[in-house]
Amino acid sequence: MQRLLYDRFSSMMYAVCLRYCNNPEDANDLMQEGFIKVYKSLSKFRAEGSFEGWVRRIFINTSIEDFRKKVKLYNVSEVPENTIEEGDLSALDVLAAKDILNIINELPPGYKVVFNMHVIEGYSHKEIAKILGITEGTSKSQLARAKGFLKKILETRFSKTGEK
Amino acid sequence: MQDFKNKLYNYETPPPEGTWDHIEEVLNNQKAIKILGYHKNKFLFYGATAAASIIIIFLGSVFFKKNTHSAISKASVEKENQLIGQKIIDSINLNRRILNSIINNPNEKEEIISDDSILRDTPSKYLTITNPDGQPVRISPKVATLIISADNEYPPKPVWGKEIRKWQKIMLNTTISPTSANFADLVQLAANKENRE
Repeated sequence: MQRLLYDRFSSMMYAVCLRYCNNPEDANDLMQEGFIKVYKSLSKFRAEGSFEGWVRRIFINTSIEDFRKKVKLYNVSEVPENTIEEGDLSALDVLAAKDILNIINELPPGYKVVFNMHVIEGYSHKEIAKILGITEGTSKSQLARAKGFLKKILETRFSKTGEK
Repeated sequence: MQDFKNKLYNYETPPPEGTWDHIEEVLNNQKAIKILGYHKNKFLFYGATAAASIIIIFLGSVFFKKNTHSAISKASVEKENQLIGQKIIDSINLNRRILNSIINNPNEKEEIISDDSILRDTPSKYLTITNPDGQPVRISPKVATLIISADNEYPPKPVWGKEIRKWQKIMLNTTISPTSANFADLVQLAANKENRE
């Protein structure tokens, strides 16, 4: 059964791990840790949501724990969240998932984790603040800066593409 | 924006080969550790039980010995008390014999006892003797015995020592031969008489 679970979810969870860490080696470590947690916690699954969502949550938590061990986030002065409009990132829509992942992996770790949690996973700033041990304002600020960073990356990429 | 979010959310990429092997290895090791842990716990349980039994037996034996010892101690204390009681009774009897001997001695009765009324009222309680200054002194037989018998072998209590030494000095500071004024000699004579009988 363990192997079946692995075969069913490994590709999906490996992609999650890749989003939260900087290299495939770290992602591989997270995969092992995450699957062992899943196997150990199977009896705790209450079937209140989807099994996939439950497994994903374990992997995200494992990734965040690892992030917190390696990166210390400091509270920073608030930057209005909507300084960068979401429309400014629409260029991402035309990219393939792998390319989007590569661009997101260029973000600094603090920006990337907040961006992943809020934009991709759907956590609120309150939840992010609680999980990461920062203020809501810092979470918003990190997200705004992540968007700004992404915008610059996209502008650079597309301007180079356009020039070519 | 939603588009790239969905793309990323649903993105899948196969992990490198060998990932499952590592996971399987860790899982197998954990099972082995768990089995070892069970045995370890089992041995720990039996060890703890054995240790607890030994401690209980040890404490039980100590408690039993203590009770036996305390019973023995109680018996010895009672025996000692009996001996002390016997000594007190013997001492009182000796005092009475000395007193009777002194009172019944017709030669010295008149000289020793100068106050007959006291003798009549409390014949076994007090003696009136003549001290070295020629003054009559009332003294109980117990005190007299105590004074005479107080020596280095049986020293009196420190608080009494001074008075007893004073009285011994008074009693002995007359003549060597027994006289009615030398109470120590009288007591000695009575004791000798008792021994001869």
